[in-house]
Amino acid sequence: MEPIRTDFKGYEGQFVAMDARTGKIVIADKDPRVALKKAKGRNHVVFRGRVPYPNEPIPVGLA
Amino acid sequence: MSRSPSVLPELAPLPWLYPYREDPYATRLGGPVFRPFVEISLAHGGESTTVLDGLVDTGADAILASDLLAEQLGIDLSDHEGETPHAVGGRVLTARYKTISLRLHSGDAEVSAYREREAQVGFVQGWHSYSFVLLGSVGFLDRWTVTASRFAQAVAVEDRDVFDERFGTILST
Repeated sequence: MEPIRTDFKGYEGQFVAMDARTGKIVIADKDPRVALKKAKGRNHVVFRGRVPYPNEPIPVGLA
Repeated sequence: MSRSPSVLPELAPLPWLYPYREDPYATRLGGPVFRPFVEISLAHGGESTTVLDGLVDTGADAILASDLLAEQLGIDLSDHEGETPHAVGGRVLTARYKTISLRLHSGDAEVSAYREREAQVGFVQGWHSYSFVLLGSVGFLDRWTVTASRFAQAVAVEDRDVFDERFGTILST
């Protein structure tokens, strides 16, 4: 199975949701509450979280 | 514990498959980072969250989630069932636990296509970084049989009894 790829460039520091089937980002906002609200109830849209800035370390688990 | 097999009769049969998803963190040794995420949502008292990425973590004992999701569900965390410090990602986080419903959605994140189990979720204050839910042993891996393969780049989720059917009963209770 091919993994889902996503182009996160340009979304650094924002909270994003994507189309679960394609990996394309469809919602982005600096306020997580706004992003969650926009994603609510939308089929095939999955809220992912905050996109880090470049050079932020890779977490083990979640940080 | 709720063991209702499904909420909607038209659900696709298990296993449900989830391709690994690219993580937005910087590359590891020049390659992209892929992680085993499954689509979930949380529900409580008639409220539910949007569909979220949940990170499958066999090394975690519990389900941990951002307290922002408790806020979305209208949960008063001062009325918690207990609190526990956890070391996560090099930090110490305090989780306040509440028993709610955890919905597992099919891989295409259809809002109405889910299977639901009760689970005790530890809500962590100020946890708003990438991915809001960590799916550990108690509440997730004890409710489902989960197979994660980086080789196949996918996660398969099945009923929890499937493990014993496949490998025999290892633990007698």
